[in-house]
Parts: sequence; structure tokens; C-alpha cells
Amino acid sequence: MYYFRLFATYVRVGILGELEYRANFWINMIQSALDLGVALGGLAVVFSHTDTLGGWRPEELLALIGVYFLIGGLIRTIIRPSMTQFMEDVRQGTLDFTLTKPADSQVLVSIQRVEIWRLVDVLIALPVLGTALVRLGAQLGLIDTVVFGVTLLCGGLIIYSFWLMLSTCAFWFVKVENIQVIFMSMWQAGRWPVSIYPAWLRAVLTFLVPVAFATTVPASAVSGRITDANLYGTIALAVAMLLVSRWFWRVGIKFYSGASA
Amino acid sequence: MNQKPVIQLDELSKVYTVSEREAGLLASMRSIVKRKTRDVQAVDRISFSVSEGEIVGFLGPNGAGKTTTLKMLSGLLHPTGGSATVLGYRPWERNRDYLRRMTLVMGQRNQLVWDIPVIDTFELNRAVYRIPEPEYQRTVDELTELLDLAPLLRKPTRNLSLGERMKCEIAAALLHRPSVLFLDEPTIGLDVTMQRRIRQFITDYNQRSSATVLLTSHYMADVEALCQRVLVIHHGNLLYDGQLSGLADRFAPFKTVEVELHNGAGDRQLAQYGEVMAQSEGRIMLRVPRVDTASVTGRLLAELDVSDLTVQDPPIEDVIEHVFSQSPSPLDAPESQKDQSE
Repeated sequence: MYYFRLFATYVRVGILGELEYRANFWINMIQSALDLGVALGGLAVVFSHTDTLGGWRPEELLALIGVYFLIGGLIRTIIRPSMTQFMEDVRQGTLDFTLTKPADSQVLVSIQRVEIWRLVDVLIALPVLGTALVRLGAQLGLIDTVVFGVTLLCGGLIIYSFWLMLSTCAFWFVKVENIQVIFMSMWQAGRWPVSIYPAWLRAVLTFLVPVAFATTVPASAVSGRITDANLYGTIALAVAMLLVSRWFWRVGIKFYSGASA
Repeated sequence: MNQKPVIQLDELSKVYTVSEREAGLLASMRSIVKRKTRDVQAVDRISFSVSEGEIVGFLGPNGAGKTTTLKMLSGLLHPTGGSATVLGYRPWERNRDYLRRMTLVMGQRNQLVWDIPVIDTFELNRAVYRIPEPEYQRTVDELTELLDLAPLLRKPTRNLSLGERMKCEIAAALLHRPSVLFLDEPTIGLDVTMQRRIRQFITDYNQRSSATVLLTSHYMADVEALCQRVLVIHHGNLLYDGQLSGLADRFAPFKTVEVELHNGAGDRQLAQYGEVMAQSEGRIMLRVPRVDTASVTGRLLAELDVSDLTVQDPPIEDVIEHVFSQSPSPLDAPESQKDQSE
């Protein structure tokens, strides 16, 4: 409850702060609209040649794009700005202030920056996802919806944990911003189902950079193609990664307080 | 004065292991496999205690171990030896109850969020420290009045001058009304007026809330104005712990004797009395060994036509400088070489 209220304060301050830069809203709006246009255009092109892509029908891919924008929007709104700020803090030594606060340092670090305009992606994602769900509606029962919600949550947590682990490396290497850039370009691959990629790339997107779990898995949940094994695997992975990233964070903090000058 | 100590250090030590990279590509490559490390003793078995309500100045040149000590006391660093308690807590365990009762201000680092108005950073701290609304409002009002923050609160941090920012930094650090303050160079880079302002504020805060303050500063004026007691640290060792006024007795082996002569100095051999530090018209400044002060003044009065004579301790800056120049050079500092294979 405390952390929820804390997060609400960060969001509020984020909104107030960004109101100063209203141009950002329009820039983000245009950027997101363009992104969405490109994504939908891509779909149209593909499905003018074929009825299914790697076994995925148009509305299923539409759902995938919805998920891609939704999770991507959350990454850009909270995770990326907070983690960027964290690395900056490590480099400048201002992380000390975070560590002297009577709150969980991992939580503080993870929610410390909210770029509220990036929520535009989420806003755009909702109608896309809605349209896809309506079109898929006939096959979508209550259980499917719950499964979809669960996979969405797990996907988000997996990406968060992964990003946190990457960022935690900053304790040792200080400069790791480039990893974020690499991640964001890998993330682009998530707008298509991983099953269409060659095996090696699929393996990379699943195990090395867990993009597949954040996009393909939730999308396959709405289209009813998710297997039980996939579902439980995703949940297990989310829990495991959350725990591992938490552990790694503690190791990082310990290293920081043992060695930094 | 015989209260229970708020801050208590017992042989507190910190050794950093730093990796040494030799010059040259080949050596760098070698260091990837086999890293050469060196232990640096940043803080060497320091013991002292501070009572509630005291303001203690921590003096030492750059790299003496001041900041390392403050960081250990504020829970940011684990010591490698010895122990310390603040308010009964071990700082590096980072107990939330402890963190809620102390604060750390670093003059060279910012906690205010750069792009948002100052009051919004305050708001974030209020949420983090869970300060109840009425108490928060009261504290902000009080700090606003004491530090004259009213025109600053609505401005984004990036639009503030250095001095204005420092005032806001200090206010942000005190919103939760901590009872222990660690101030690491709180006045660095500020102009004289602003320095005085901050000093006055620290005194006020200390008196109002009987908070315990441990501060470092490069400005002797800060220390002279704020601290009755000083700790002098050099190469990680505590050299002095006592009254500021006692520092000269202890460390300055010289006194400054100033004489004014009726007929000017002429071509008399003044060097026989002591080292001539300055000479103008009839005024002469001599540096005289402490033990000889009495006899030299006697001789001066007897042998010269003296119209005025004063004996002073040298300025505190000079004393400090003298202390630091006398101590072992960094090369002699305790450290050990060792190889680590990884």
C-alpha cells in the first residue's frame, strides 16, 4: 500500500513535470501514430498475399500488435526512464541519496521517473487490442481473458526483471547505457510472432532476450493457441526472474557499499 | 555533557581494494586475467563519540577519510573493521527506523530532481518518509521562513543558482526532521553571504531541535562559527579530538609576535629574535617558537624601542596546514601490495 501510494506520487509529479513540456505530448503522439501506422501497414501488406502468417490469422496478429504497444508503452513510461536515471545516479554518485531513504531501494529506483507522455502508446494499444478482441470475440471466454491478463502481467514482469538485471550491471561497469539501446532494437522484433523467425533468432528472442514472453505469449493467449505448458512456463519464468533480479540487485547494492569511494 | 553518546565509533576502519592498471596495452591485457590490486586504508581505526546536540567539525585535507567516515555513518558503506553505532543502530544495516532519523547532505551532489519544481521534490520526499500532511506543511513553512525559500519553491531546480539550490537541498534533507545530520561540505562553492546564511541556519536548527551535527568543510570560517569541537583526520588517522581553541596549543609550535617600533626597525638584525614573516614601516611580524615566546618578548622589550607588542596564536588555517604538512606523506601510508588471480 505504501509503495502504491509512493508510485502514485511519482506519477503525479511526473505529470506535473511534463506539463511543462507540452510539445512532448504532440511529438510522442505523432511518433506513436506513425509507429502504429507502420505496424498496421505491415500487417495489411502481409495479409494481401496470404491468409495466415506462420499459422497466425490477421486479427490474432492485430492482438499481438496491441500487446506490443501496450507493454512497449509501459516500458517507455516507467522502466526505461527510471533505469536510465538509475545508471546516471550510479555514475554521478547521487544513488547515495536513494540508499539513505527509508524505503526499498529497488522499488525506489524502479519507479523514480515516469515519462507520462509515453502512455500515448498504451492509449493507442487499447483500441487496437479492443478491436482484435472483438473480432476474436466468438472464441474468447472468461478463462481465456484471465489467462490473457496473467500472461500480460507475467510478460511485463519478465521484461522488468530482465531490464533491472541489465541495469544492475552498472554497479560494476558504470557505463551500460548501450545495452538498453540493444534491448530496444531487439524489442522491435517482438511485433511479429516469434514463430515466424528462424530457429536461432527465435531462441535468442526467447531465452537470451525474453521478448517472446512479453508479446507472443500474451497474444497467443487471446487467440487460444497457448498450451498449458506455455502458460505455466511463463508464470514460472516470471516468478524466477523476479526472484533472480531481486537477488542480483542485492548483490549489486552490496558490492556498491563495499567498494565505491 | 554526560549524556549518552548519539554517535559512537570504535576503531572504525575502511580498506578499499583498488585495482591498479599499469600503463601500456600489454599490461592492460594482462590485467584482465590477473588483476593487480592494492589495499588503501581510507579510515584507520578511528574512535570518537558525539553527544546529543553537539556540532562537531571534521577537518582534513582531500582524501583524508572524512567522506568515507560520513558514508559509513550514514549507512552507505560497510566498514572493513571496528564498529559504530548511531542512535543505537548499526548504520550499514540500513534499518528503516534509523534512516528515518538521520540525513545526509552532500554539497557536491544533488538530490533535487533537475527538471521539476523544488516543491515537487519535497513532495516526493514527503511520500518516501511518510510525513503526515499537517506536520509536512508545518515543516515546509518553517524551513521556507528560515531559509527564505518562498520565491524558489515553484521554480524548477535547473533554474536556481548554486546558493539557492543548496538552500533547497538542505531543506529537502530536513523535511523529516532528522535528529542526526551528516553534512559533507554544505557550503562548498557558495559566496560569503550565502555561507553565513547556511551557517546561521545550521545553528538555528541545532538549537531548535537539539539535533546532532557532524560536518566537514574546507572553509575554516564554517568550522569556527559552528563547532566548538573539531576532529582532525589525516591519512585515515584521527590526529586530534578536542576544542577548536586547543588546536593551536597542540599543533602549532610557533606563536606570532607582532611588534611596532617607534623609530622603525632601521637596519637592526631582527632575525635574531625569530623568523621575520612580514615587515612594513615600523611593524614587524615574527614567528617565534612557542617555548621561547616569553624570553623573546622580554628581549624585544628590553633591546628595542617598542611601542606596541602582541602575541598571538597563528591563524587556524595555518595551524591546520601545518598539521597536514607534518604528517606522513601518502607514500608512507599503510598499505600492502598483493596479487589476486581471478
